[in-house]
Amino acid sequence: MGEADNKPQKKRVPDWLNNPMWSAPAPPATSATIIPPEDPPPRRVVPPPLPPPKPTPPPPPPPPPSTARSDPSEETSFSGASQSHLITEFGTALSKKVVNVGELQRLACQGVPDLPGIRPTVWKLLLGYLPADHALWPYELEKKRSQYNAFREELLANPSEITRRMEEKDGMNEKDLSSDEDKGFLSRSEIPHGEHPLSLGETSVWNKYFQESEIVEQIDRDVKRTHPEMEFFSGDTPFAKSNQESLKRILMIFAKLNPGIRYVQGMNEVLAPIFFVFKNDPDLNNEAHVEADTFFCFVEVLSGFRDNFCKQLDNSIVGIRSTISKLSQLLKKHDEELWRHLEVTTKVNPQFYAFRWITLLLTQEFNFTDCLRIWDTLLADPEGPQETLLRICCAMLILVRRRLLAGDFTANLKLLQNYPLSNLDHLLHVANKLRGALPG
Amino acid sequence: MVLVLALGDLHIPHRAPDLPAKFKSMLVPGKIQHIICTGNLCIKEVHDYLKSLCPDLHITRGEYDEDARYPETKTLTIGQFKLGLCHGHQVVPWGDLDSLAMLQRQLDVDILVTGHTHQFKAYKHEGGVVINPGSATGAYSSITYDVNPSFVLMDIDSLRVVVYVYELIDGEVKVDKIDFKKTATGHS
Repeated sequence: MGEADNKPQKKRVPDWLNNPMWSAPAPPATSATIIPPEDPPPRRVVPPPLPPPKPTPPPPPPPPPSTARSDPSEETSFSGASQSHLITEFGTALSKKVVNVGELQRLACQGVPDLPGIRPTVWKLLLGYLPADHALWPYELEKKRSQYNAFREELLANPSEITRRMEEKDGMNEKDLSSDEDKGFLSRSEIPHGEHPLSLGETSVWNKYFQESEIVEQIDRDVKRTHPEMEFFSGDTPFAKSNQESLKRILMIFAKLNPGIRYVQGMNEVLAPIFFVFKNDPDLNNEAHVEADTFFCFVEVLSGFRDNFCKQLDNSIVGIRSTISKLSQLLKKHDEELWRHLEVTTKVNPQFYAFRWITLLLTQEFNFTDCLRIWDTLLADPEGPQETLLRICCAMLILVRRRLLAGDFTANLKLLQNYPLSNLDHLLHVANKLRGALPG
Repeated sequence: MVLVLALGDLHIPHRAPDLPAKFKSMLVPGKIQHIICTGNLCIKEVHDYLKSLCPDLHITRGEYDEDARYPETKTLTIGQFKLGLCHGHQVVPWGDLDSLAMLQRQLDVDILVTGHTHQFKAYKHEGGVVINPGSATGAYSSITYDVNPSFVLMDIDSLRVVVYVYELIDGEVKVDKIDFKKTATGHS
């Protein structure tokens, strides 16, 4: 229990909340960097006594790990804090009856430990999906989950089912024709509400279905190419297929509920980490509701960035162009020499690289585990995800300044489109240092 | 939810110039998964037009078809249903339901689609269901001149079929439907 082996697979959920081992000085074998599992297997292999650190029932007041450990003066804000220390602090923070969100934000910025079950809960709290007060969790979860199920039934039904429901509502009971006479002409009946498959009416269920089939195909194509290197998303297994189906459903429901932006390519990439994190939550209570939870958290994440996806807003003050120019200004403020070299001398327009960085929230620039770590900071920083993202992007540029300054257009573009990451913690540390209001 | 279009006896160009405009406006590509055609198109242009609506096209030979290579009968499986297709001029007396029932038992299908009489029919017997989509152009038949253009669209959804009947009566398109279910072991 509590041993973090160097093998990528961890099948036991350590009793980290209640286990007095955490107060022992011997830290687990991990160093400051989290060992990235290549492709974390679905942690469905649930070990025998699963402690409920998830407070779906009101939690038993946990014996806080020895307070000597969580000495405030020891708490440092640099990411070199030892793992066990961090885990302990998370334990304390999450187990409070009313979670102190500010403290959780501060902790999450240091990186959520990679132990099963912590990250999903932390993200849900940071995104406001779970309220701070533990007592309200069952109620809120129930409400949101049943709302999602209602969406699913209503919005994803195909027109045959919809017309059938219409009929049942109108009281036209289906005659059980197998009990009719065995021979005879089949009787014709009226179509419900004038609905037939070839209908060209604006309000026709069938017509709308066919119009949306384009979006459905687009979503299908994009989901199939999400993270082809990961078994979780692209394997040949029924598990991977069902994950893909879940992703498709979430995106379709989102597209139908948001006729303003519908589905835009790239949303699948923003959805993938959230789904992955929640699906790997070992808490059996959450297992059946991964889709619902993911949907709402996805909406929440996207809400800060919606305007980036809306084509009409591209040139407006809230659109993607404006965001990219903010990045440019930020770089200019912190490193004018680099800014000048990039934009003026080598004419590397930030749109060429920053577009993907910003709209996809850096999911395409780093490997999956690093992404999750970056998202911890993105979601936790009190400045808000957009500002934080810009700071991280700026830090990315500054960290490779030597190579950029030495390079020409082609070399620089190539470098920035295949960003080489050497030390993630250092990157986030630099990004942190770039805080401060932009002039103007 | 599979959409299957059943039509036939167009007799283009000999007895009718084209499908009625109102039908043509409804038949757009991309909605229908299969087309089954009882025959008597009669020319290649009609075949190409139907092919443009849906790539999965099945045709049986009518006595006036210019392409002699169409088969006399055809069977296919769509979802849980076996469908049979035959023009119907081979079954004498024409349009006789008992004789068609014999053909259906021979082909061993749940739904038999035939034409030739240019009259819409949907009939159920122990062996299954016989559907005649009529003539999609309203061409005159060997039996009568009084023909309303009609065709049939089937929505096959696991064990249930909803048959939408489209008819052009007095210049207006009228749509009705027929429901039937298949019991798991076959029609009762």
